[in-house]
Amino acid sequence: MRKSVYAFALILLLMFCLADAAMSQEKPIVLGAPLATAFLYGWDAERGIKLAADEINAAGGVDIGGKKRPFKVEVIDTRDLEPGVPVADALLAVEKLILEKKADFIVGGPVRSEAALAAMDLLNKHKKVSILTTGVLTPAYSKRVGENYNKYKYCFRNSSEVPAMMGDFMALLDDLQKSKGFNKAYIMVQDVAHARAGGEYMKKALSGKKWEVVDMKIYPTGTTDYSQGLIDSGKKGAHILFLWMDMPESAALLQQWSNMKLKSLPMGFMNAAEQPGFWKATGGKCEFMVVNLVNGGNAPAKITPWTMKFVEAYKKKWGLEPEGYGTSSSYMAVYQLKDAIEKAKTTDPDAVITALENQDLMGVYGRMRFDKKTHQIIHSWDPKEGAVTGMVQWQAGKRVQIFPPKVAEGKILLPPWMK
Amino acid sequence: MEILIYGIINSVILAFMALGFTLVYSIARVPNFAHGALYITTGYIAWVLLHKLTGFPYLLAIVIAISVTAVIGALIYRFILIRIRGMEISEIIATYAIGLAILEGLRWGGLRGGTFTLPHFIAGNVQIFGVSVDYQRLIIVGIGIVTFAALYLFTHFNKVGLALRGIAQDERAAMMLGIDSDMTAIVSLAIGSGLAGFAAILLLPLGNIIVEVGYNVLIFAIAVCVIGGLGSWGGTILASFIIGFAQILTEAFLSTHYQMVVALLAIIVTLLIKPSGIFGKQKELEERV
Repeated sequence: MRKSVYAFALILLLMFCLADAAMSQEKPIVLGAPLATAFLYGWDAERGIKLAADEINAAGGVDIGGKKRPFKVEVIDTRDLEPGVPVADALLAVEKLILEKKADFIVGGPVRSEAALAAMDLLNKHKKVSILTTGVLTPAYSKRVGENYNKYKYCFRNSSEVPAMMGDFMALLDDLQKSKGFNKAYIMVQDVAHARAGGEYMKKALSGKKWEVVDMKIYPTGTTDYSQGLIDSGKKGAHILFLWMDMPESAALLQQWSNMKLKSLPMGFMNAAEQPGFWKATGGKCEFMVVNLVNGGNAPAKITPWTMKFVEAYKKKWGLEPEGYGTSSSYMAVYQLKDAIEKAKTTDPDAVITALENQDLMGVYGRMRFDKKTHQIIHSWDPKEGAVTGMVQWQAGKRVQIFPPKVAEGKILLPPWMK
Repeated sequence: MEILIYGIINSVILAFMALGFTLVYSIARVPNFAHGALYITTGYIAWVLLHKLTGFPYLLAIVIAISVTAVIGALIYRFILIRIRGMEISEIIATYAIGLAILEGLRWGGLRGGTFTLPHFIAGNVQIFGVSVDYQRLIIVGIGIVTFAALYLFTHFNKVGLALRGIAQDERAAMMLGIDSDMTAIVSLAIGSGLAGFAAILLLPLGNIIVEVGYNVLIFAIAVCVIGGLGSWGGTILASFIIGFAQILTEAFLSTHYQMVVALLAIIVTLLIKPSGIFGKQKELEERV
């Protein structure tokens, strides 16, 4: 009898201890991450978010008026980059994060522009602050915020957009025109909305700047043979192959370009060429390809003191270098939210919005400030002034930052057969 | 000249994509909608052997990958299709479900992104009449001609091949002559799957091993077979050349982004004008009745 009383008392004591431990842990702040996890821009964003959340939690969490609350990351697969998946599915995923997973904030996606634009109304409906970090390059996102601030004030984007990217490309092309005398471009894009828009945008931009766009080809998703276009570009004497594709098969384009030894320099926005494993996958045929990684820090570079710390932390946790567009911005979004919540001393959306609007943080890819009207990250070629791009060239197996000049670690190189 | 050269290459590539599908349908009368999944599986197995086992010989990796795919094909018939044989809708649903499970399983298991590739057999390019062509594409055309010839000889002069044709022509009569229908179907699924794998080994070095390619290969295989006539080998080759050249001509004279439309449009036109396909005989008889 006495033994059972002791045992009962011990169990009660244990239960009290456990309950006390649970009570002492503050309620986590839930970050909902709607991402297309089967695609680069989804899985690298997930890794960036989790890395940042782990670092913050390991350091004690988010300080809200003296109480430390941890971040809890809830990822949901929106599948919005898969062909044929309707936008409504991505919206359901976002709503599930808000209603079922009780997300306090949304970070990451949706990843496809159409889905992200449609989700803006949902964020307004549920009054959820969101920082868009990956996949969406359309200027329409920030434009909508600017045009209807009260409705879309919850939407922020900390990664670059098409006009800024085109400005980067144009500056690089101007340099090549001056230094090498290049003046003919051949545009090859994938048959998807953002790539076609990017191609058209570039065509227009180049045409007004003493460049001749000798042709523009649009390829269906899944194309593995680019020989006709490449042969044509050679015949027309193109100096630049401007590419805009997010399909993995575009690796074949670079292989064919390299095999044909075409006297043109490939550059552009190419999903497959962003990944660290691309060199091995193409057997080095991607050498000299210039890729826009949208934001700095998506490849090793010394942009700010934080950049290489982030790169090393990412390598330690995930076993490889930051992979491409969406990695550094997703990582930074968590730190931006932490900073804003701590300054607001609450998770109340309106207070956090004000804190984000007034934020001035030196991040992984430069000074992080949002435009107060459009909630778009302020872009710059100087990391002390704004967020800089990650323009790299594949050189001897490495992604070398070549632009903007203030953070470049190498010069742009031409293939030996172009000299 | 580049239209002619790349037209031939494109046509042989399409014929390779469709060959396994045609063989299985012509003999076992099974529309194998897992064809694209088996194609990608072979590429993935070869990739795993080459990249996870350091120094693994490429040729051995190819042999193992194709053999495993052939066995998978045989097992699909032995354990699943045998129970629903003759019920065409069920066969389509079952094989499509198997294909879906394989492809999405691979995606879930990590087959994502653009870094899964197989090396070219021989790297480099050659100029043919002033047109630059890489060796891999020339190898595809060469092996394609040999493969088509070998398959013809196999089905016309080999005992097993003759048995396969016998079943394809008249199953009941063949069974009366002692040919085992189920065993023949197992063999045809194994060979058809092996051919899908063989095509993968030849064609995947031109691009990447990705799940979406599996779906595309299935679409092209169906397009070629529908146009050529389901189960007709001659029709398959002819249809491959029609679509292959149509795509290249579209790219040269119209616009590159209509290439996929050409294949799908060809299916619709064929179904409207000659539903049995160019060389489709069986359906033609039904149509006459």
